[in-house]
Amino acid sequence: MKNTIRKLLLTGMLSVATLAGAPAATLTVAQNFDPQTLWPNGTTASDNLNAGSAIVEALFWVDPHGEEFKPLLATSYELEDDTAVLVKLREGVKFTNDEPMNADAVVHSFNVFIDKEKSPAYARVSDPFASIEKVDDLTVRIKLKYPFPPIELALSQLYITPPGYWNEVGLEAYGQKPVGTGPFVFDTWARDDRLVMKANADYWGKLPEGIDEIVWRPVPDDIARAAGLTTGEYDVASNLAVTSAMELENNPDAKLVPVPSYRIYQIILSSLEEHKSPLMDKKVRQALNYAVDKQAIIDNLFFGNAVALKGQVLREPQIGFNPDLEDYPYDPEKAKQLLAEAGYPDGFEITYKFPSGRYAQDREVSEAVAGMLTEVGVKTNMVVLEPGEFLRQLRAKELQPMAFVGLAPQDDPDLQVSQYHSSWRYSYMNSPELDALIDAGKQEMDRDKRVQIYRDAMTLMRDEAPIIFLYGGVDFYAVTNRLENFMARGDGRFFFYDTRLQE
Amino acid sequence: MLQYVARRLILTLPVLFGILLISFMLTHISGDPTDLILSPDTPDEARELFRRKHGLDQPIWVQFYQFCVHALQGDFGNSLRFNEPATKLVLERLGATTELAVTAMLLAILVGVPAGVIAAYRRNTAADVAVRTITLLGQAVPSFYLGILTIIIFAVWLRWLPSGGRGTWLHLILPATTLALNLVALIARTTRSCMLDVLNQDYIRTARAKGLGESWIVWVHALRNAFIPVLTVIGLQVGLLMGGVVVTETVFSWPGVGRLAIQAIYARDFPVVQAVVLFFALIFVGVNLIVDLLYAVLDPRIGYR
Repeated sequence: MKNTIRKLLLTGMLSVATLAGAPAATLTVAQNFDPQTLWPNGTTASDNLNAGSAIVEALFWVDPHGEEFKPLLATSYELEDDTAVLVKLREGVKFTNDEPMNADAVVHSFNVFIDKEKSPAYARVSDPFASIEKVDDLTVRIKLKYPFPPIELALSQLYITPPGYWNEVGLEAYGQKPVGTGPFVFDTWARDDRLVMKANADYWGKLPEGIDEIVWRPVPDDIARAAGLTTGEYDVASNLAVTSAMELENNPDAKLVPVPSYRIYQIILSSLEEHKSPLMDKKVRQALNYAVDKQAIIDNLFFGNAVALKGQVLREPQIGFNPDLEDYPYDPEKAKQLLAEAGYPDGFEITYKFPSGRYAQDREVSEAVAGMLTEVGVKTNMVVLEPGEFLRQLRAKELQPMAFVGLAPQDDPDLQVSQYHSSWRYSYMNSPELDALIDAGKQEMDRDKRVQIYRDAMTLMRDEAPIIFLYGGVDFYAVTNRLENFMARGDGRFFFYDTRLQE
Repeated sequence: MLQYVARRLILTLPVLFGILLISFMLTHISGDPTDLILSPDTPDEARELFRRKHGLDQPIWVQFYQFCVHALQGDFGNSLRFNEPATKLVLERLGATTELAVTAMLLAILVGVPAGVIAAYRRNTAADVAVRTITLLGQAVPSFYLGILTIIIFAVWLRWLPSGGRGTWLHLILPATTLALNLVALIARTTRSCMLDVLNQDYIRTARAKGLGESWIVWVHALRNAFIPVLTVIGLQVGLLMGGVVVTETVFSWPGVGRLAIQAIYARDFPVVQAVVLFFALIFVGVNLIVDLLYAVLDPRIGYR
């Protein structure tokens, strides 16, 4: 009996060893979800995009290293005037089914992209696009409805599909079995289990070195993702919890890659008339900012792995970040004094909503904040919301008068700051001065002027305190030491361009 | 017998209709999937197009009527996330779930029944205490926790087994054991108490008096008589198994129906949730019908008319 068990275990170990030691040329990536579609313009979910964009490429891309805007299927673009963009395409590129990548393919892809029924997830960035015309085989002219400063952001999200194949199979089937120009080609897909892609031998550019095959595995449990990375079953694991990340930090076979996220965590302090509450008084909103020890939250709940906000919602590398601003310091005495000045010497009671299971440590952070507010006399009635209901309330402007949110708009100050414009669906403030700045920044094509507009907007927002400025998130990735030059962006996107997998 | 089966099957129909109604109502009152599927900053026009495309702009009773008409034809509509028929998504994952659930159930029966018999026969000995302690733990430890624990011990520390996914029989060991443990506990405890009851019966004394071998008495005479309640428990626990599959498949990245269900619930992917609920209900009803029929096999006094 003992011998049989030993034999069984031994065979087991050997098989695991074979599994772990799969051919060196395979790179296994563990993400949270299986993609719903591999057509990148089908959703904005990063798990879908990371896999899909290994096959289907866009006109331009934003390299996670330094967040630099770089050409891909286009070689350059030029603004003819404020509402016309001339795009030059790369010569000699073919889709893997031999259809040519040319102006016709771009016109077709553009028309799908701006169709709000086919690409609803991209409706916000595609909105400025009016029409497209083919100038010659390798040049197209895009007409805009209005001047749109973040044009690069929009161009980097227009993915090019082959019109022949697309028309033959349709949108849904294309997403299940895409054909593109990218460094990898679709091989097989066992849903919820493994998606296999092979290197594209005829790729127009430089293939990632040493990767013959990528296997995408959906691993929903974050502890299981970290475990699989430790055992060598996965070479890349995304979206790890801070606790798993701290453990992996000491793993000699893997590198931990922390990436500052685009997600900005904040506590909405509604100052709207319709949400009548003590928060309508600016002094109260400022007082709450003084009352919360943000650094303590960062240090204790995230082990230092969150980014302190400098009293503004823009991140340091963004256009319009105001280097002269500092966050409200932690000063409960000052908070009490401001509350007294506002007519609340004994504090007040207020409803405070937060989600559970939507963001990393959402419940813990919310409870910590509530505790700190109690110290200055503000008693919160905490309402915990399931993520779906939380999102409904956000859009319905029901997250009031006070709520914890993490907003992650795309990487442009307009998309970030517009959320505080009085006309925005879920804006919880109404400031004509801020509205004017946002309207100006939205169409200012001169970069320097735009920077100044947003710096002014940040100064105004810090003073108005429409939110408690909390922290910027950090996303954790872990990769095997064999993979070199891996980097991800703050929106959860990563690519394998310029990476190298050692034997 | 056939008449009985036919009658039972007809009685199943209102049950299934009730399940459809309840699952439809519960999913629809829980919110609008548009909020979860499109990001909050999506313009209203695009959201309205999405809602119209999936019929979410219709009054709820129209949605329910449409849903019933199509469900009768086995069509639960297209998944809101995958844009594929919900039925297809469920069927694709059926094999993986069946493999896991059947293995877990067999494992639970093969371990649970003998453990229960031994505990009853050797009542108040070390063996009995051991079985009772382990089964108590098995019932008390939640499977998501147990799953993570086994991954850390057997995959990370010992490196004996893979941490997740589906592939060789090695991939099956951890999820099947985790799923089975709860059932083992219940089956062992039920078997033990039923056996205790039977072992005190007159016919057992008679069997001993006839000079039958002890193991024949215990494993054949006694167990057969003790088995009907155990069978009932097994039938009812198929429900627990279905619930367990949802957790176990998520922890072990097992590509089955349970994981599809949990993701669909989080995303308010109504068509998929309804397809899974109805599918689980069908299995539950089916298995319990089979259990009822097996009573007659175990006990000839039971007949069905």
